[in-house]
Amino acid sequence: MKNKNETKKYVPEIPQKEIEELRNSIKTTSQKIIAENIERMKKTSKNRAKTMQYFDENANFFGQREKEIQAAKASGKKVIGYMCMFAPIELILAADAIPVRVNSGWYDASKLGDRIVPVEVCPIIRSTIGAKMIGLSPYLELSDALISVLTCDGMTKLSEILSDYKPVWTMPIPRVKDSAHATRFWREELLATKAQIEALTGNKITGKRLRSAIELTQRATKAFRRLQDIRKGAPVIMGRDAMLVNQTYMWDDIKRWTEKTEALCDELEKMAQQKMWACPPDTPRVMITGTPMIWPDNWKAPTLIEEATPQGVLVADELCSSERLLYDPVGVDEWTMDDMLNAISERYLMASTCPCFTSEDGNEDRINWLLTKVKDWKINGVIYYVVRGCMLYAMEYTRVKRVLDRLNIPVYYLDTEYTREDVGQMKTRVEAFLEMLSARVDI
Amino acid sequence: MITAGIDVGTQSVKAVIVKDNVVISRGRAFSGFDPAKAGELAVAEALEKAKLSLADLKHVTATGSGMDMAPYANSTISMMGADAKAVVYIFPKARTIIDVGAEEARAVKCDEKGIMIDFVVNERCAAGAGAFIEAMARALEVKLEEMGPLSLKAERASSINATCVIFGESDVVSLIHRQESKPEIARAIFDAMADRVSSMVYRLGLNPDVALVGGVAKDIGFVSSLKRKLGIDILIPDYPDFIGALGAALVAASRVKEA
Repeated sequence: MKNKNETKKYVPEIPQKEIEELRNSIKTTSQKIIAENIERMKKTSKNRAKTMQYFDENANFFGQREKEIQAAKASGKKVIGYMCMFAPIELILAADAIPVRVNSGWYDASKLGDRIVPVEVCPIIRSTIGAKMIGLSPYLELSDALISVLTCDGMTKLSEILSDYKPVWTMPIPRVKDSAHATRFWREELLATKAQIEALTGNKITGKRLRSAIELTQRATKAFRRLQDIRKGAPVIMGRDAMLVNQTYMWDDIKRWTEKTEALCDELEKMAQQKMWACPPDTPRVMITGTPMIWPDNWKAPTLIEEATPQGVLVADELCSSERLLYDPVGVDEWTMDDMLNAISERYLMASTCPCFTSEDGNEDRINWLLTKVKDWKINGVIYYVVRGCMLYAMEYTRVKRVLDRLNIPVYYLDTEYTREDVGQMKTRVEAFLEMLSARVDI
Repeated sequence: MITAGIDVGTQSVKAVIVKDNVVISRGRAFSGFDPAKAGELAVAEALEKAKLSLADLKHVTATGSGMDMAPYANSTISMMGADAKAVVYIFPKARTIIDVGAEEARAVKCDEKGIMIDFVVNERCAAGAGAFIEAMARALEVKLEEMGPLSLKAERASSINATCVIFGESDVVSLIHRQESKPEIARAIFDAMADRVSSMVYRLGLNPDVALVGGVAKDIGFVSSLKRKLGIDILIPDYPDFIGALGAALVAASRVKEA
């Protein structure tokens, strides 16, 4: 238990005035970047679905959704934040609370995190710490408690640091998932988290409520899959637009998100019938995989790929900030409490391709999934994206490259930091890679 | 048919003019603060040597980190693509190209047609590139061009850890304090660079023949360290620093033919 009288474990005292100045300046920059990103995304698409407008607006962290959540809180609802996508959203929803993902994509905030942890640490971690130090992220600020799944070293220590501010419920996760005791262990963790959620919200998670929460995310999954399936064909949506749609799921109202995504899919299917492509159909088809890419600042890799000369189009990704979020439904056989909890436990543990897992055969699930995506989405080349300090993704690269080499699929390791200064160097590399892919597409 | 290639590098701009696939002249200027102007100077020098005018150039292709700033360019090609094209033109059996320039080292895998099929670039750090030798020459108080010959006189190998130019320099200072001789320190510097470059090449896969290009290929100290590390012979073209520009000029010629 956290001792309330204990002085803060990590966080230094910062004068209120400095906090406000920093928050205002980073927030202003961030609003400009959000607007600029959306503008550039609009410009890149030769034809762009009109129903994207909803997602463009929802991309504003400091807009309508923030006000909605504030109002919901005022009426007594609780907000539960999470960092990794292993957090069981269905349990949060079943307790009538609002789930929001709170990892930070702000570059400038990572410099503040440097006051607490060394620069060698993954910038997503440093930036999330920095964002909390100055109260930058609306969704992190609005969270009443945080679920921290201990996937990597960064996340493990991040939860300690954030506990200086808010209640943090840790969920250790087994690194080898294919065993009966791993399943049992994870299910126990789920039950413990369920009890925490019930205690915070004062709402009991009944079978009826849990069933309707699962049905809600199942519908979201269906819409989500439909969108990714559309991207198997000639491009009617640019990758950045699809990534934005996927990512807004992390903070939007899930019912409304599902409806808007279905409307988008309807429009995209019509565009495909009319051959209204977002870019020329012979544009090299690229998949990106690796470290999660968090809106709004950390958007440079997909931007470089889709604005490069020669151009590439992202038709798929294997990122926990995008396509890994929702691809797998919670599969329930019988709507009993026991069965529903088993289904949730399975969906989060077994379906994940996070590199925090290993087995006798390595992280086979990720390798197999990457190969399936290459085949089904007809990928011409893969960008393997890693931010410095992200050990698990960096180390797994060698294996992924070896597997893709055998299929003669080019893959390029693009490493970067939470900074805007290396865009020139990254551009050189990305363009050389796309030049190579274009030469192959021509052949 | 006459075409030109311009390589806008971080330290200098190189221009090459090619007539019917044969090099007829070269030009060079320091990039400085105005790479576009340097590009004009390099092209002017090459044109003058060939007794040609701008209007004689059928197509100009630019490459290099500053290729977007290149003057007269009709098209561009990546540095890795240009390297592959030029090296296979000179050495038809080359399949791996190591390019060590002032601030970046790259390795390119290519096929028999001179088309790149894979590449790696050193990870945002100058310790495997020419700027490292310059900084270390300053620390040893010798001229840049003396570093190579000096290192060949070393009787044994010391070692430093080139993770970055700054830490490399402090490692060199501790060798100076241990009163190691200058030749041994010079060799340690080239060995450290060759270590970095060779591990990059191994990540890509070492397919013979291997060619070394870029300005640093002219440094016999680095060449001998790299040969030792890789354990195989390395092909070095004449004018290794003009390879990027040559590749661009050859690409320019094939683009005219395609059009």
